[in-house]
Amino acid sequence: MLTFIARRLLLAIPVLLGVVFVVMLTIELIPGDAVSLMLGEHATPEAVAKLRDYLGLDKPLLVRYVGYVGRVARGDLGRSIQQNRPVVDELADAWPATLELTAAALVISAALGIAAGVISAVWPNSAFDALARLGSLFGLSMPVFWTGLVLIVVFALWLPWMPVGGMGSPAHLVLPAVTLALPSLAMVARMTRSSVLDVLREDYVRTARAKGVAERLVVAKHALRNAAIPILTLLGLQAGQLMGGAVLTETVFAWPGLGRLMVKAIFARDYVLLQGAVLIFALAFVVINLAVDLAYGALDPRIARQG
Amino acid sequence: MAVGAGVIVTRPAAPATLSADAWQRFRRNRLALAGLVVVALLVVAAVGAPWLAPADPAKQSLIEKRARPDNKFLLGADEFGRDILSRVLFGSRVALLVGLLSVAIALGFGLVLGCLAGFAGGWIDVLIMRGVEILLAFPYLLLAIAVVSALGPGVLNTTIAVGIWGTPTVTRVVRAAVLAARESEYVSAARALGASAGEILRRHVLRNILPTVVVYSTLFMANAILVEAALSFLGLGVQPPTPSWGLMVSSGRDFLLVAPHIATIPGLAIMLAVLGFNLLGDGLRDALDPRLRGQV
Amino acid sequence: MMPARSALLSALAVAWAMSVCLGSVSPAEAQKKGGTLTIVRPTDPVSLDPQLETTAPGAWVYFNMLEPLLTMDEKMQIRPALAASYEILSPTKVRFKLRPNVKFHDGTPLNAAAVKFTFDRALRGTPPARWASLAGSLSGAEVVDDLTVDVMTREPYGPILRTLAMYCTGIVSPTAVQKMGPDFSRAPVGTGPFKFVEWKTNTHVILERNPDYWGDKAPLDRVIFKVVPEEGARMIALQTGDADMVLLPAPAQLAALKRDSKYVVHEVVGGRVVFAGMHAGLAPLDDVRVRTALIHAVDRKAILENILEGSAVPARGVLAPSVFGFKDMQLDKLYPFDRARAKALLAQAGWTPGPDGVLQKGGQKLSLSWLAARGRYPKDGEITEAIQAMFKEVGVEAKVQFLEWATVFTQFRAATLNQHMFTLGWVTSNADADYSLYALFHSKQVPPTGWNTSRYANPRVDALVEQARRSLNQTEREKLYAEVQDILAKEMVWIPVYNTKEIVVTRASVKGFTVHPVEYNLWLRKVWLDK
Repeated sequence: MLTFIARRLLLAIPVLLGVVFVVMLTIELIPGDAVSLMLGEHATPEAVAKLRDYLGLDKPLLVRYVGYVGRVARGDLGRSIQQNRPVVDELADAWPATLELTAAALVISAALGIAAGVISAVWPNSAFDALARLGSLFGLSMPVFWTGLVLIVVFALWLPWMPVGGMGSPAHLVLPAVTLALPSLAMVARMTRSSVLDVLREDYVRTARAKGVAERLVVAKHALRNAAIPILTLLGLQAGQLMGGAVLTETVFAWPGLGRLMVKAIFARDYVLLQGAVLIFALAFVVINLAVDLAYGALDPRIARQG
Repeated sequence: MAVGAGVIVTRPAAPATLSADAWQRFRRNRLALAGLVVVALLVVAAVGAPWLAPADPAKQSLIEKRARPDNKFLLGADEFGRDILSRVLFGSRVALLVGLLSVAIALGFGLVLGCLAGFAGGWIDVLIMRGVEILLAFPYLLLAIAVVSALGPGVLNTTIAVGIWGTPTVTRVVRAAVLAARESEYVSAARALGASAGEILRRHVLRNILPTVVVYSTLFMANAILVEAALSFLGLGVQPPTPSWGLMVSSGRDFLLVAPHIATIPGLAIMLAVLGFNLLGDGLRDALDPRLRGQV
Repeated sequence: MMPARSALLSALAVAWAMSVCLGSVSPAEAQKKGGTLTIVRPTDPVSLDPQLETTAPGAWVYFNMLEPLLTMDEKMQIRPALAASYEILSPTKVRFKLRPNVKFHDGTPLNAAAVKFTFDRALRGTPPARWASLAGSLSGAEVVDDLTVDVMTREPYGPILRTLAMYCTGIVSPTAVQKMGPDFSRAPVGTGPFKFVEWKTNTHVILERNPDYWGDKAPLDRVIFKVVPEEGARMIALQTGDADMVLLPAPAQLAALKRDSKYVVHEVVGGRVVFAGMHAGLAPLDDVRVRTALIHAVDRKAILENILEGSAVPARGVLAPSVFGFKDMQLDKLYPFDRARAKALLAQAGWTPGPDGVLQKGGQKLSLSWLAARGRYPKDGEITEAIQAMFKEVGVEAKVQFLEWATVFTQFRAATLNQHMFTLGWVTSNADADYSLYALFHSKQVPPTGWNTSRYANPRVDALVEQARRSLNQTEREKLYAEVQDILAKEMVWIPVYNTKEIVVTRASVKGFTVHPVEYNLWLRKVWLDK
């Protein structure tokens, strides 16, 4: 198992290298230059050339890439083009906020989603099932800025229970986490329902029931354990998507996370800052995927056996 | 997909009556039928929009901006005084295009890659999974910008971008399902009976991962429409004056506090479409589930 | 607004004379000292150092910490700031006498050396300041004695005084810059009525009163600038009291807010003109009849009333009224909204209606390509869509391409532009016509050199703007610019749509605030809270 982990972490390195290269290459190929954009109206050709030279931006792509990788190996993520501020500092400002929001949203969507899904599966096509499916579809289809703003109006304006936005107390976390969790919750509930239903129809479950095992035990011991794999896969993917897709939630609730930072960097073509943020995401994905794969192994020994 | 716990089951070869059987089951499922009706309505709206729409969806009447629903504007007017009902009807075209095409692309690539990774294993699996991780970490906004700069703006190219964005997730879901299916008893049995890898893949694995894939696709559809909404709002999707539900919600949010119908009505349209596809998807899944054969 | 406020002030002065329990304020002051003003705006600054940041998010903040030699009051008149007086020694040299006993926030004294340091850093630093290209032929400063400094230009430069009154030419503390290095950009040190406390990225910037300020000390204890990107959320924050002041409020809600006594809507005509530009070098827009027809086809009033809803005023020319040298181009008289006239002009130019309603000539459709971004300027996307529909009514087909700003900007700055139309905004940063008319309409200022995106070329206009730039006689300059705008009016290459209004909404408890025509000049030094 340890070799498995070690191997996967080692495999993470080419992923990180690959992502950085792809990002750098993409920024290079699409129109837009960080310096001209920064200087905006004051972008005379001389000013642009001078600044690009000063920031080392006119070196060829491969040279910049190799230089960047070398610096990252030493722990230096460079300086953002826009602010000339160490990328590490910029990320350190935003990363905890993203972590907090993503974790909270994941917990909400997993807990409520799995619970709703299981209940739906055990009593399929019941009133609860219909309500849960409709409700989750609602959360899934309405765009974040709609649900977010509505929640703010209801819980911050009409009922002054929550703050309007920003970060601070635990109360600040509630609305954004719920908003972010809604689409994910819907997906988890549906997948759980589908997976558990599958399992409940398996012959061995029928056997267990015929043997007289209590329904609750059937569900808990057999159904969930075997339904867990696709659910777990989904949760792992949701964790990644919640991280990457939080930008709209962050905008509506003025949550100072990485999502907004990345969008700003993309629009400004600030690839140094962007790469730093992408590296963090890539690392997070690798860790999440690793955790999910390890969990596969724990849940189903046969998968673990062939690593 | 579940894995049995020590029970061996032999499955007969697929009967010729599978489709009849499936259709029987589908017909009895009222929710699934409802889903079919909704999707059919959607298709009718998309095809028949020029005849069904009471007004030209691009015709502006600034003086009647944000009109509440009334005799002239059955569902109200947007910030330009354009008839929302007409725009919703025409917008179904974009919704169908985005929903179906992006799913098709994601499914197409995802199935191939996921099956390859799950079935072949070894270094192919490693390679594909690492590629998936790279794509997952790649910011989707940048992906959309890249696709648009390469192919030009417009809803078709944005849909392609959304499809590519959805591929890694489908790949992983498929791979997980394949991994589980491949270890199941009936596959071992089939192997023991001498079936080739291709046969196993086709007959057993694919058929068994189909429900999961179908459910996930219908969920992904909603996501796709919403991603298109965000991208359209940023200027990377439909070009004016083409209506798209997503864009209508995005631009309507500025007026949420004064004229909520502008954003909410297209949002409800999205929800209805997603609901229809999901019910249909669930129904299909139940209908096609081989283990329900013979049951109702 | 003024009479009501002074009446209120008098009433409060009386109340104050009688009150006992509100701290150490002398009875003569009507204001209440103390309190924290919370301001919400959409974006975080990139930097608080004018060296690196000239856009509003940073400027709003550092405007209260750094002071230039001169300043512009709300009537756009030049007033002394750190310079107590000035004297024009020659067409290329102005002598400034600095105020004595002024200290930077770090305790070091303001002197001529600091001024020289600021300008050297801006003009010759590595890299030079963002605003260096705004400064025209400013070449530097020379120390005469401790409180006297000479500012020089390379050649006679008419706009020199307005340039030195720009928000971004604030004098910085040399000691602080040298000690802090790049960190100065996050915590600037100047002479202003407020000084820096904290900046939490993407969350807030906090300033506090400078107790050693050389002028009237600010009544407020603290100012917090918060980032709230969503417009709806900003307005809700105002209503719940989470915010006292909103910058960039929602236009759709202004009418209701004006009727509500709990809030005050401060507005004044600002400095930015947003327009639909035409590529005068690309057929069929090289035909002035076609361009004229297009302007007649646009119902500017409808756009102003229904899309901008009072958050802007109709553009009266290519410049904003607050700009020195502005002339009202009488656009409503010269180019009234008149579809019939538009159609007639197009017919004159040889365009006849085709089978699908779109005009055509010689087998070619009158189809224009249009490049724009959404959200760069207020309602830019909506205006583009509205004009697209208006063009359709006279048989002109406009194919609009919305792309994100970086891509659009790159295309605008390229040496060739393949689009017929573009949506753009322009602010005259130093409030002097030279800044705009030269860069926008001189034939040699085609991108990437300048901003003549329309590719307009008229030798007479070239000569006039060149002459006006070199003259220091402000009356003469005004006459020259008037002639330029007369010529432009006859050969319009823009469809000017609106002139921004600087609008700030505050809760009624915020007093002493006046909004300034220049959007960056956010004056907080006289603001006090009636709580």
